[in-house]
Amino acid sequence: MPDFCTANTSIFVIIPAFNEGRVLHQTAAPLIAAGYTVVVVDDGSTDNTLAVLRGLPITVLRHAVNLGQGAALQTGMDYALGHGAAMAVHFDADGQHPADAIPALVEPICCGLADVALGSRFLHPIDAARTPVARRIVLRIGIIVSGLFTGLWLSDTHNGFRALSRTALRKIQLRENGFAHATEILEQIRREHLRYVEVPAAICYSAYSRKKGQPLWNSFNIVFDLVTERLFR
Amino acid sequence: MIAALLIALVVLYFRKLRSKLADRIIVALLFGAAVVFLIAASRLFFYVAIPGLVFVVLLILSRMRELEQRSTILVRELALLRADAERRATRT
Repeated sequence: MPDFCTANTSIFVIIPAFNEGRVLHQTAAPLIAAGYTVVVVDDGSTDNTLAVLRGLPITVLRHAVNLGQGAALQTGMDYALGHGAAMAVHFDADGQHPADAIPALVEPICCGLADVALGSRFLHPIDAARTPVARRIVLRIGIIVSGLFTGLWLSDTHNGFRALSRTALRKIQLRENGFAHATEILEQIRREHLRYVEVPAAICYSAYSRKKGQPLWNSFNIVFDLVTERLFR
Repeated sequence: MIAALLIALVVLYFRKLRSKLADRIIVALLFGAAVVFLIAASRLFFYVAIPGLVFVVLLILSRMRELEQRSTILVRELALLRADAERRATRT
């Protein structure tokens, strides 16, 4: 097992945040306690996001204007790559991923079995049952759309919980600023011949995360972005 | 059949053949043809005007994406520079 797997500081946890001041402190606290290098990318927030992070031992990158989750993740990945990260973990700001799920997520990368580990809420029936029915249906459609666009057929394509090795960080360059980045990552995994694995990852839905999460009609925006990206690439 | 061929042509053009000069020539040709057919009160006007309009919309979309990508690079670069400057300032 490589050395970096014993040091959580070499694991950069990237949290894209847009107006998440209400919950961001709670989300970051367990990550800091576990010793990860936490990088919050404030994507042009207009609330108290910056204020709640003040004084915490984390790195805050600030987008001057709101660009989207994909852009925020790429900024975080650029930072991680430039500051010696052994791997990076994408982590949602609304607190729906438990910090103690990270070791299981990064394990396949530590063991050299994969370059990218993708969290999936549909590998265990219990995790799947926690997902609201309407969202489950949309996510199933998303799996088909992603599969058609990327050629990778996974159980959960729009899960924001994933880990990337340094090799993957170097090779993946997101151009999609919005939520279509989830499909774009899969496309680049295939194009760059990166090894990937799906890891069970429960999502703790709260009233806040349900309210903040992607509206279902956003699926149309994602498809539109994917089509135009392909046309104008 | 013709619609599928047109779509294929548009995709081929935007992905492989596009250049600024070609964009301008196509728009000028479509516009010129539309004006001629309009003056002649020919039904062909619609066959030229509608694809022409779609083409112009696609050009605008493409330009928007290009600008979005440029501004993304700027904002990202600024965020990284600012973080590094703050880190250096804290050290000193």
